Order: sequence, then C-alpha cells, then structure tokens
Amino acid sequence: MSARDAILARLKGDVPNRAAANLLLVAPERPRVDETALKAAFLDRLSLPSVNASHDVIGNITDLPAAIAHYLLQQGAAPTLFLPPDPRLDICDWSGFTLHDSASPDESVALAIARCGVAETGSLIFETGPTAPMLPNFLALYHIVLLDVRSIVPYLEDASFPQGPQPRAHYWVTGVSGTTDIEGTYVRGAHGPRFLHVILLKK
Amino acid sequence: MSGSTTHPDAASFKDRADAALADRLLKIAVERTAGTAEAKRAIAIDAFPDFEAARTRAAAIKDHVIAHLGAYLEQFEANAVAAGAKVHWASTADEACRIVIDICKAAGAKSVARSKSMLGEEIGLPHALAEAGIARVETDLAEHIIQLADERPSHIIWPAMHKTKEQVSALFKARHRSPHEEETIAAMAESARRELRAQMLGADVGISGANFMIADSGAVCTVTNEGNAELSLVPPRVHIVTAGIEKIVPSMPHAIHMLRMLARSATGAALTQYTTFYTGPKRAGDRDGPEEMHIVLVDNGRTKMREEGLAEMLRCIRCGACMNHCVVFRQIGGHAYGGTYPGPMGAVLTPILDGLKASRDLPNACTLNGKCQEVCPVRIPLPTLLKGWREKSWREGLEPTSLRWGLSIWAWVACRPALYRFGTGIVARAMQLLGKQGWIRTLPLAGGWTQYRDMPKPAPQSFMTQYRKTLGQ
Repeated sequence: MSARDAILARLKGDVPNRAAANLLLVAPERPRVDETALKAAFLDRLSLPSVNASHDVIGNITDLPAAIAHYLLQQGAAPTLFLPPDPRLDICDWSGFTLHDSASPDESVALAIARCGVAETGSLIFETGPTAPMLPNFLALYHIVLLDVRSIVPYLEDASFPQGPQPRAHYWVTGVSGTTDIEGTYVRGAHGPRFLHVILLKK
Repeated sequence: MSGSTTHPDAASFKDRADAALADRLLKIAVERTAGTAEAKRAIAIDAFPDFEAARTRAAAIKDHVIAHLGAYLEQFEANAVAAGAKVHWASTADEACRIVIDICKAAGAKSVARSKSMLGEEIGLPHALAEAGIARVETDLAEHIIQLADERPSHIIWPAMHKTKEQVSALFKARHRSPHEEETIAAMAESARRELRAQMLGADVGISGANFMIADSGAVCTVTNEGNAELSLVPPRVHIVTAGIEKIVPSMPHAIHMLRMLARSATGAALTQYTTFYTGPKRAGDRDGPEEMHIVLVDNGRTKMREEGLAEMLRCIRCGACMNHCVVFRQIGGHAYGGTYPGPMGAVLTPILDGLKASRDLPNACTLNGKCQEVCPVRIPLPTLLKGWREKSWREGLEPTSLRWGLSIWAWVACRPALYRFGTGIVARAMQLLGKQGWIRTLPLAGGWTQYRDMPKPAPQSFMTQYRKTLGQ
C-alpha cells in the first residue's frame, strides 16, 4: 500500500460540509476599522513601529517619478530603480533615473504596484505575473510601492484574492524585513528591505 | 563559556535540567527573549476585541479540519496538482527525508537554501541532507546562528533563544567572511545579511515548511518577518515544501483567522511582515519563481495522535506562546527537553515522536499551573494531555520502582485518615524545627529540591487540626 493510501485509510470520515466550514467564519473577531475613513485608518497602521513605513500622496500617476526622486534624495540614495514591466508605468517620464529591468543581487531600489491595501493591518497585497516579478521586492534595500487609494479595503477578508486559476504566488507585505532573533531585540533590514515607502495615488 | 552548548547531549532529562539550571548565561538569554515575547503578547491581546471568542473559533476551525482531515487533504492535493505542483505522501520521517533527497538528486542539487521549518527538524532533514552530501544553508537568522554553532533549536519561534548577543558576536567573528566591527545587534544582523545573500541566490533547491495549506486553492502559506523564505524559495529552480498533514485549513478566510491568532500569540504583532501563498510552479510568462514545486505531506505519528486521544494536539499552530509562559521552560530553556519541540507542547509531542519510555520525564516536568492552556490560541488542554501521559506511563509500568513503592505506600496511608493525620502531624512538627524565619534551607530526603530554592515553612499545625479548632470555637 502506498503511503498515500495508508494515510487516507486511517483518516476516513465524512466529506466536509461546506456550510459547516462557512459557519465558522460568521462575524469573525478582528480589530475594528472605521470604514468611513479607510485611508486614515490604513495610514495609521502604516506608521506603527511594527510596520515602520513612510508614505507620500500623488494626484496623478505621471507624478510618480518626481515623488520617487524626492524620496530617494531625502534618503541620500542614488536615483537608480528596478522598474517592473507593467504597462501602467509606461506613461511616466523616467528621465533622470538609471532604470534596471532585472534586479541585481544588491539592488538598491525596487518599485512595485500593490493590488490593494488593507486598513486592518497596513498590509500591501501583491500577486505575481508576467508584469509583476516577486524577487526584486525582497532584494532591494528600498521597497517603494504604488497604491491606488480606491483599492484600500477594510479587512484582510476583503482583499480580492483571486478565484479560479491562481497566480504562482500572492503575498502580503506588512512592513520592512525585520528580526528579533538576537535576544528578542528588533532590528530592521534583516535579509530584505530596510525601508518601505508607500506612494498613494489619489486620482 | 556557557554550559548551554553541552547539556543537550547529557544522558537524561534530569542531567540536562541540572546543567541548564546551573547555567547563568542561559537563564539571562531565555529571560530576555521570552520575557519580551510575554509582554508584547499581553499588549496585543488587550488591544484585540474579544480574543477569548477568537480562541474558541480558532479551536473550532482546527477541530473541523481534523474531523474531516482525509477529505481536506484530498481536496488540497487535487488543487495543488491542478496548479502544477507535485504532491508526495510520507508515513514516516525517514520516508519524508528520502523523498526530499531523491528530488534534490534528480535536480542535480549541490546546495539547498532552507527556510526555518520545525517539521524539517522533526524529520531530521538537516542530517539527511548532510548524509547525502548536499550543502545546506539555513537562512533564518536564528537557524543560521545555530547552524554555525552546530546546535539544535531551543525554541520553535526563536531557535537561538539560548544565545546571548555576546555569544552570537563571537560566533560571527569566527565564521563570517566580513564580520561586523561595531558591537551592536544591528551590525550583527547586517553581517549575516552579507554572508547569506549570495548563498540564497545561488542555491539549487529551496526547502520550506508550511504554516498553512489552503484546501480549496492548493496554496501553501509561509510567514516570516525577515523575508528569508521568499529569498530562499523564489530564485532556485526547485521548491520543496515539507508539511505536517494537520496544517490544512478549508479556505483563505479560515487561514486569515488563524494568521491573526498566530502572529499575536507568537510575537505580539498583528501580522508577520511577510505572508506568502505559493500555488504551484512558475507560470508561462512569469519573470521569476521555481520551475518545479513539490509538496511532501508528512504523517509521522499524526494519524496515531488522532486515533489515540491526542487529536486536540493537532490543533497546534506552533506559535510558542505555551513555552514563553511556562515557568519550567523559563528556568531550563529548550535544549533540556531533549526533543525537537520543547516546552509544554513539546512535552506532549515528544512521547509520540520519540516514545514514552525515553521521554516519560517530560510530562512530569510540569507544575500544572495551567498557564500554557490559558495562552494557547487554539485552546489545547495541555495540562490534561500531560496528565494523560503520566497515567499511561504509570499503567505501562515505566515509572521507576522507588517511585511506584513510594506512591503505593502513600496511597495506603492516605486511605486511612487517622493514620494519615497522625503522620502529617509529625512531619509538620518536625519541619518547624528545620526552618528559620519562615524558610527551610535543607530538607532530609529532598536535597535535590532545596539545592536551588528554599522551602516555605509549613503552618505549625495541619489543616485538619486547625479546622477542628475553628469548628470547636
């Protein structure tokens, strides 16, 4: 008998009832979010020490390069940038930047577009695809994220997780890479980004 | 420098506990991390609306899954395969290791990057990889520390909890190519970042565990704060997941509830920094991701737990809250337990994994103060399960003869109230003579007990004597 058959033979039982599983999800306990002020709630969480992110607001996607240049200048970082091959960014004028279309092992800055933001936790939700590689967002020291204000949702359950065919990965980023592995002391920039900067698109 | 590097190999639990109690540095190190975790959890739980109801829900979700485990595993398998992953099944630890090694060999792997997984430790994967001649890079900072020190994890969330920063500094200076110069924890973490990045990017295979497996999508979820899982699992050509079969949840919203419980219970955060759901290998057109994804579903005693009265233990989500709040763990640290899993949850699991005969001391190393059960996010009745092991150990005759004799004599006397009161009356009076200012420093026949602490002096008269007097007034 294969291991599969041996294990499943010992786990024989009823087929789970979908309704019983769903009953366990009614009115979940979770931190309360003011749904009339999602942006403010999201920004509140973003600035918590555990999330440790900064933010800026722009009115139009064409303002994005200037906002990034401004942030990097403030940080004393060079205007080099990994740019994902997302057609939504084609409208921007990137002159003044040294652009990389693939991230090097010590890439300094990476830009990504979040599918949505979650006010409950200050999380940014991404999924992989041909125009959205994953690795640059973990290699870079500065992780810069463009987020449409209209895509902020109250709770994790409200983030529009794909139904049907799944992307290879979807991932939630709730702050910068950190560790408490030495004496429980928090240090930022463990393996991945040390800085997370969210640029909210208002229009 | 510290005895903490030697006592895991000491012969018995009692020897290891003795060595740990005498290790001053170990106590400092454990207290610094567990103390911080306890304080942060308390703040997080206070800020959460109705954490008690949330614990009840989390327990109900896990019980529902365990009751229908076979069907959920089949659903998960079908969805993972549809997404392009290959699913393997292993009844034992050896089988699981053999499957992983075969995949590595078929991939021609010379090196693997591993993202911390307690199941990997449980099945002995580090050892199996070494035997197969495959280089292993531990990428979690704490696992990296203990890999350099050639030690085992002492905690399921903070595997290097037993190390002080001074010990870590010495280790990195001896072993890193360009170590830190400044004596700060930030500089040490930076040194590890420099050391590990190229190794992660150059690995042939990435190996992880799973915090959750989502039945209705076939996704495998990992959580980290460092981002080391993603850096270990996205670049290599092959991703292997080894997961206990109990890690299933029905759907994404169920996983979300469990994730809310996990981070708060473990570190006091609302969520870990990186929560990733992997569903199959790289898709056509994707710019990164592995070309193969393998998921090894491991039983290793779990079906037996379900059959033999330990189903509640399968609720465990490996948050570590029980050990952070355990008065015994806080004194002796994790290595003294001797198994893969330390603390209260380890004392329940180790007899299943290593046999009760070899680990019967662990269920006894518990004060039954109930703190672990109070903080458990899935309401596992840990003290009850530990008492179950004690009873089994007694029934199977595993307790030493002296203890069996002693308890039999006590039971005989206790069944004769007059004799019992007479005896305890003598003991109470004798103990008056031994104590000074309310405390007894040495006690005949209990030297082991008074070696590390004083015994409070009992009341001059027994409870029954005082009770009678009060009644008579």
